[in-house]
Amino acid sequence: MSLQTATVLRSNTFRSSLLFSAAFIALLVLVNFALFNPGQVSVVVLSGLYQGMLFFLVSAGFSIVFGLLDVLNLAQGSFFMLGAYIGFAVYGSFPEGTPVWARFMAAIMAATLGGGLLGALTESALIRPLYARPVFQIVLTFGLGIVFTELVRAIYGPAGLIPIQPPAALDTTFPILGARFETYRVFIIVVGAVLMAAILLLLQRTRIGIIIRAGVQDSEMVQALGINIRRIFTLVFALGCAVAALGGITAAPYLGAFPSMGDQFLLSAVIVVVLGGMSSFEGTVIASILVGLTRATAEQISLQYLQTPVLASLSILLIMIVVLLVRPSGLFGREN
Amino acid sequence: MQTPGALYEQPNRASHKGFLPGILLAALLAPPLIAAIRGQAPPDVSGFEHFTRSLAEVACADGLNLVGSLYIAETILLGMLTAVAFAFPPGKHPVFTALRNQGALLSALLLLIAMPFVIAWGTDSSICERGKSFFWQSVFIEAFILAALAISYNLIFGFIGVISFGHAAFFGAGAYGVGLLIHHLEWPLGSAVLGALLVSVAMGVFVSVIALRIRGLYFAIFTLVFAEIFFVLAQNRIMVNITGAEDGFTFAVPDWINATKNRITFYYLGLAYLVGAFLLVRQIVNSPTGRVMHAIRDNEDRAIMLGYNTFTYKMLAIVLAGTLACGAGILRGLLNKGASPSVLSISFTMDPLLMTLIGGAGTFIGPVIGAFLLHLVEQALRDTVIPIAGIEINIGERWFLILGVIFIVIVIAFPTGIAGTLQSWWNKWTARRNARAPSR
Repeated sequence: MSLQTATVLRSNTFRSSLLFSAAFIALLVLVNFALFNPGQVSVVVLSGLYQGMLFFLVSAGFSIVFGLLDVLNLAQGSFFMLGAYIGFAVYGSFPEGTPVWARFMAAIMAATLGGGLLGALTESALIRPLYARPVFQIVLTFGLGIVFTELVRAIYGPAGLIPIQPPAALDTTFPILGARFETYRVFIIVVGAVLMAAILLLLQRTRIGIIIRAGVQDSEMVQALGINIRRIFTLVFALGCAVAALGGITAAPYLGAFPSMGDQFLLSAVIVVVLGGMSSFEGTVIASILVGLTRATAEQISLQYLQTPVLASLSILLIMIVVLLVRPSGLFGREN
Repeated sequence: MQTPGALYEQPNRASHKGFLPGILLAALLAPPLIAAIRGQAPPDVSGFEHFTRSLAEVACADGLNLVGSLYIAETILLGMLTAVAFAFPPGKHPVFTALRNQGALLSALLLLIAMPFVIAWGTDSSICERGKSFFWQSVFIEAFILAALAISYNLIFGFIGVISFGHAAFFGAGAYGVGLLIHHLEWPLGSAVLGALLVSVAMGVFVSVIALRIRGLYFAIFTLVFAEIFFVLAQNRIMVNITGAEDGFTFAVPDWINATKNRITFYYLGLAYLVGAFLLVRQIVNSPTGRVMHAIRDNEDRAIMLGYNTFTYKMLAIVLAGTLACGAGILRGLLNKGASPSVLSISFTMDPLLMTLIGGAGTFIGPVIGAFLLHLVEQALRDTVIPIAGIEINIGERWFLILGVIFIVIVIAFPTGIAGTLQSWWNKWTARRNARAPSR
C-alpha cells in the first residue's frame, strides 16, 4: 500500500492526483463505517463537508491570489471575520418589521461587496508598492491581519456579537439515518459548493478567467499582450477577499462573530492551499474537502476514545508535514 | 584608509584595538573594587554564588550607594566623550576612531549596567526593594529576553533571508524544556539548561534537514505548522499531568537565580545573555561564513553556482538561531519559575518579527532597538489614555492595534527599520559634510 501510495504521489498528472484524493476520501469513509454506526457516519461526513467548505471559502482567495500575484495574503482570515461583522451591522440596521430572509440576503450581499471593496483598496494602496519586495508583502499582510482584528476588537469589544437569526427554514435540524443534523450547516455546504462551481466556471469559461489563468502561467507575457495586468491583480485580490467575507457572513449565524474568528481558520486554510498545490484552484477545491473530512473523522475518533478533540488539529498538521516532505509542491501543484 | 602609508596605519590600528573594551572592563570592575577598598563590600567573596549574593547585598545596603553612583558617572562620562567624538570633524586619533566605532554601543551597555541604580534613584527606593524598583527591573529583564530572541530571529530573517514562522517553538522549548527537566526528572539546574539547549539543537537540525529542501514560503509554512503542533500538544488536556495543559506549570529554581528573592542577579544574568548573543551573532556574521550567508540572502542561486553548499549554511544559521532563542526561553522560564502555553503561541514568533523589522532587519543593533522600544514603550504607556478626535484611546488595551499600524508604516516606508534608516541618514550627512570640506 505504501509503495503504491508513493508511486501515485510521485506521478505528476492531474488524473492520478485526483485518483489518489478519491482513494483517500474513500478510505476515510471506510474507516468511519468500521468504527461508527451509520447515523454517526453521516454526521461525520456532513460535518466534514461543512468544515471543508469553510476552509475552502477562506483559502479560495489564497490560492488564486498566490497563483497570480505571488502574494501569500495572511490577512485572508481577517477578511473572513470582517465579512461577518459587516453582515451583522447591515442585518441590525434594518427596522424591526423587515422579513428575516430579506435582512439575511442584504447582509450577505453587503458583506461580499464590502469585503471585495476593502480587498481592492488593500491591494491598490498597500500591496502594490511592495511588488519589488515579496518578503515584505507577506509580513505586511500579517500586520494587516492584526490591525483588522484589533480594530474590530476596539470597536465592538473582545466578546463577540450574538449570532443573527437566519431564515426560519434554515434554522432547524433534520433527521438522517437515526441522527440529527443542523439544516444551516447544510446551507453552508451548498453555498460553498455553488461558489466552487461558480469560480471554476469563471476561470474555465470566461474571458477574464482565461486572462487570470494565463497570468498564473506568466504575468509578464500577459502584460506584453496588451492587457492591464495590474487591474486584473486588483480584481483578483478583491475577489479573494470577497469570497472570504462571504464565507464569514455565511458561517457567522452558526459560529457567531468574534474578533479572532478568522485566525482559527487561517492555519487550516494555509494547509489546504499547500496540500492542494499553491497555485492550483482545482487542488484547493479537492484539498479543502479532503482536509475537512480528515478533520471531522479525527475529531470523532478522538472524542470517542480520548474524550478530547486533540486529534482534529493534530491530524491535519501531520498530513501537512507528510505532504510537504513527500511532495512539496502539493497534490496538484506544478513542480519547479 | 587615506592616511599615507602602512607604516602609520599598522601601529595605530594595533594600539587602538582593544582600547575601548579595556576601558570598559576597567569601568566595570572599578566601582565594586573601590567600594571594597572603602570597606563597603563584605569580605567573603569565595565562590560564584557567594560573590553574586554579596554584590547584591552591597548594592542593597542603601538605595544609591557608591557602586551605583560610580556606574552612573561612568555612563555619563563615556556618553559625553562619544558625543564629542561624533560632533567634531573626523579626527585621526585612534581614541576618536574607537569612540566613534564603539562608543555609542558601550555607553548603552554601561547605561544598562547602571540602570537598576538609576531606577532606584528615580523611584526613590533601594534596588532590592519590591514594588516600583522590582517592577522596572523585571520590565528590563523581559526586554533583555525579547531582545535576545529578536537577535536570534534576525540571524535567519535578516542575515540569511529565510522566513520562519515557527520561532516560538524554540523559545517555548527553552521554557518548557528546562521546567519539565527540573520539575519531573528533578535534574539540577545546569543539566536542565544543557538538556533544553540540546533539545533545541535537535529541533533545529530536524527542521533544517526535513524542511530546507523546500524553499521560501513553504519553509515558512512548515515552521508555522511545526510550532503549532507543540502549541496544540502543550495546551491539550491529555497532557495535563505533564505540562499542566492550559494553565501551564510551575517549578522550583535555586535561590541565587530566584527572581523574586534576588532579582538584581537575574537582571545582570539577562543582560549578560543579551550581550553574549549580540557578540556571537556579530562575530558570525562578520566572519567568512557570514559573507556566504549574505550571498545566500541576496541571491541563493548565485551562491549555489559559486559552489557553496547553501544547505549547510542555512542549517547552521537555523540551529544557531534556534539555540539562542531556546536560551532566551530558558531565561523566561526561570524568571517566571514556570511555563504556560503562551510561550509557544504565535505571539512569540510575531514579537521578534515585529521587533526585528521595526528596529531594522539585517542590522546588528536593530533587533535590540526594536525590542527595547516596543517593550519599554508598552510598559511605560500601558495605563495612559490619550484623547484623539473625541475618542479616548487606552494605549495598553489598544497596543496591538498601534503596533500593527506602526508595523505597516515601517514595512512600506522604512523597510530597513529604525537602525537602517538612521544609518543611511548619517551616511548621507557625513557624505555631505565631507563634500563641503574635501581637504580634510
